[in-house]
Formats: sequence, C-alpha cells, structure tokens
Amino acid sequence: MQIPEIILKSTAILLILLGSLYSSLGMLGLVRFPDVYTRLHATGKISAFGAVFLLGAAIAVLPELTIFKGLILILFLLLASPVVAHTISSAAYKSGLPLAQSGRDDLAEHLPRASGKDI
Amino acid sequence: MNPLDRTLVTVAASALVLHVVFLALAAWRAWRGENSFDRLIGLDLIGILTLCVLVLFAILSEAWPALQANANNAILIDIALGLAALSYLSTIALAKYMVDHKMF
Repeated sequence: MQIPEIILKSTAILLILLGSLYSSLGMLGLVRFPDVYTRLHATGKISAFGAVFLLGAAIAVLPELTIFKGLILILFLLLASPVVAHTISSAAYKSGLPLAQSGRDDLAEHLPRASGKDI
Repeated sequence: MNPLDRTLVTVAASALVLHVVFLALAAWRAWRGENSFDRLIGLDLIGILTLCVLVLFAILSEAWPALQANANNAILIDIALGLAALSYLSTIALAKYMVDHKMF
C-alpha cells in the first residue's frame, strides 16, 4: 500500500466523521429548536459544512472525480446555502410569522409585515 | 482487504445509515410541520440530505469490493450536481411564491 493512498484514505475517514458530526448537530437543531428562524440557523450548517466535508472525502477517494468538478459543487453549495436561508427567513418575516421570543425587533420600522393569518 | 480500507467502509456505511435516518426526520418535518415555512425547510433539507446520500454511496461503492460492479462511480456526483441546482431553484421559487402569492 502506497504512502499517498494511506494519507488520502485517512483524510477521507476524518472528513466523513466531521461531516456526519455537523449533520447530526444540524438535525438536532431542526428537531429541538422552537422557531422557524432558529431552525434555519441550525439547518444551514448541514448544507454549508456537512455536505461540503462529504464532498471533500469524495474528492480524496474517487479517482474518476476530477478536482475541478468537486470544487464547482463545493463552491455552489457554499454560495447557495446562505441565499436559501436568507430567502426563507425573509419570506417568513414578511408574511408575519411570529418570533419565539419576541424581544427587540429592529426590522419592524423598516420592513412592512403582513398579519400572519394565512400561513 | 487491509484495516484502513475496512475502517473506511465501516465509517462510510455508518454515515450512510445515519443520513438515511436524517432523511426520514426531514420528511417527517415536511409532512407534519407547524406552518408552511417549516415544511419548506424540510423540503430543502430533503434535497441536501439526498445529495449527501449520493456522495456517500459513491464513496462506499468505490471502497467496498462487493459493490465494485459498475466502474464509473463519479456519475453519482454529476447527479448530485443537478440535484443541488434543482433544489436551490425550487426552494427559492417556493419561498417567493409563499410571500408574494404570485410567481413573477
């Protein structure tokens, strides 16, 4: 067994473990958090870290996968995950979904909200 | 099969099972959500976790000799690329439709 193969496979094992850890934390947040906004904060971790670490492991292991294709997918995921989280939370805020702990709300005088009856 | 390969197969298979369980949890969230945005989070998460399952299956079928019948495992990564693009577009379109009640 060659030395680079050992390094690549050990890196892949480490990256799979890290990605599974991030996915588990995100799913724990999805189940336990009280609110749509806080749940979005947790599930953003799955697409930004879990899937990206798993793709890094795939680049290390698969010989047919060129590094450019893997990097394109990683870059797309890193670009898409904040956009999706922002779009969902902005839509929820605009349609008047209440916050779980309604303390101070700095957006209230800048952004019109609907009544929140039809969601 | 040396110990490193066996460790890689074990870790990848356990992560695959874990992500399938997470997929069921996300489907439960999309089915029994509190409101429509909660269900939208579940739908987006189903797309991301399906991508994770595809990537893990590509790794597993590369490292496990029992699954090496089809040689080109990287085609699963191509499918994952298309799935990520479609999931991104559909989530943004649905969120915009829910808040504006019209598409364009």
